[in-house]
Amino acid sequence: MTAVAFALGVLVVVQLRTQAGGAAFAGLSSQDLTVLVANLNARNDQLRAEVATLDSELATLGSNQQRGDASIDELRADLRRVRLYAGMDPATGPGLSIVVRGPIDGPGVEDLVNELRNAGAEAIAIDGVRLVPGVVAIGGRGAVTLANEALDDPFEVVAIGAPDKLTGSLTRSGGLIAQLAATQPEVVVEVTPTDDLLVPGTNRDLIPTDGRPRL
Amino acid sequence: MTAIERIRAIPSWQVTLGVALLGLGFLVAAQLASEGPRVRYTTQERSPLVETATQLQAQQEELKRQILDLRTRIGSVEQGEAGSAAVVRDLNSQLQDARIAAGLIPLTGTGIVLQLEDSMEPVKQGANAADYLVGARDLRTVIEELWSAGAEAIAVNGERITPSSAVIDIGPSILLNSAYLSAPYQITALGPKDLYQRLSASPGFVDLIRARAQSFGIRVSFAEPASVDVPAFAGTVTLRYARPAPSPSGGPSPSNGPSASPAG
Repeated sequence: MTAVAFALGVLVVVQLRTQAGGAAFAGLSSQDLTVLVANLNARNDQLRAEVATLDSELATLGSNQQRGDASIDELRADLRRVRLYAGMDPATGPGLSIVVRGPIDGPGVEDLVNELRNAGAEAIAIDGVRLVPGVVAIGGRGAVTLANEALDDPFEVVAIGAPDKLTGSLTRSGGLIAQLAATQPEVVVEVTPTDDLLVPGTNRDLIPTDGRPRL
Repeated sequence: MTAIERIRAIPSWQVTLGVALLGLGFLVAAQLASEGPRVRYTTQERSPLVETATQLQAQQEELKRQILDLRTRIGSVEQGEAGSAAVVRDLNSQLQDARIAAGLIPLTGTGIVLQLEDSMEPVKQGANAADYLVGARDLRTVIEELWSAGAEAIAVNGERITPSSAVIDIGPSILLNSAYLSAPYQITALGPKDLYQRLSASPGFVDLIRARAQSFGIRVSFAEPASVDVPAFAGTVTLRYARPAPSPSGGPSPSNGPSASPAG
């Protein structure tokens, strides 16, 4: 009886102490725990290094992507600029609307266009046909063709540029309209400065087939 | 005798001793547990170690989660980059075509070279001396006739003809783009192999020869080298007044649509 009571007291205390340990690692000895902690520390250091590597990789990719986006924006802007200049895309802006009535000849039309270009016209169309290299007005009086299509009478030339400069170059004394009046008096040219013109893009293929880029 | 009768039969001194021994056993066990260096080591150091191990385990779980998350994000950025590389290739290809169309790329190919020189003939009495010189109008006529005959690129004395090129007289010289040119004028035209035949069959060109060469002695000659080189336009392509207009097709496309039949 006394021995039983003694043993019971001992067991109660041991049980109380053991339960205070808890957790999953309770079954491990202190030596095992020390090794486990060291392993966990080493492994976590490796994982932290990997996180750092991936972090910097992501940052590099991010800045590359931003640079890429910037260069794509630049490429797009450059493409718009060059296509606009080449006459491949429709253009809008201020300029002149010029209505020509009467039997003008091809060189008369070309003189008019040349004068507009000289005065800084940036985009020109005649009756909806964008003037690009290769599109020329040829033929005698009243029989002008533009890119192989007969030109109407009257026809309209629209030219984007500084309206005052374009008007001045055509209407100045000794200017193109004065010259036309002298050489082709039955031709009437009517010039109207306009704030907002639309010049269509060309439908011609401007890539040469008889030549190739020279490197 | 029942169990109760048996307990009642135990003398009270034995009960007192039993309770005292139980208390003693408890005390001895408590003492043993709290005493001795080895016992203290295993009981007091184990708990922080377990705690540390638990914390490290939790950190490891978090680090692994971060790694998986980062790999996912890197993967999606890389996919985006592959897409934008394709966009860049496409844009560069469109830009190259636009530059060729705008005259910003030097070209080589079949074609002819025409040369226009001032007249050597004496100026007839009462005639205009300027008629004996090659003028801007002569050059423009030749350029127009070349376009009509199927030329695809033209340059005069190294100046490329572009959509904005004007050819005008400035005294005895000729202004083309921003260059002052003087005779002799070499007009290089890239075009089909029969460009000269087409040109010389054109009434406009025949008229020019009659009006300028036969009447005033303007000298016109031509050459058909194996290949001709047309230089790139070196001026600005930035427009000040013209802006892109909304296109019905919704913006630049790689193709220019159907090409017009060549003039001439």
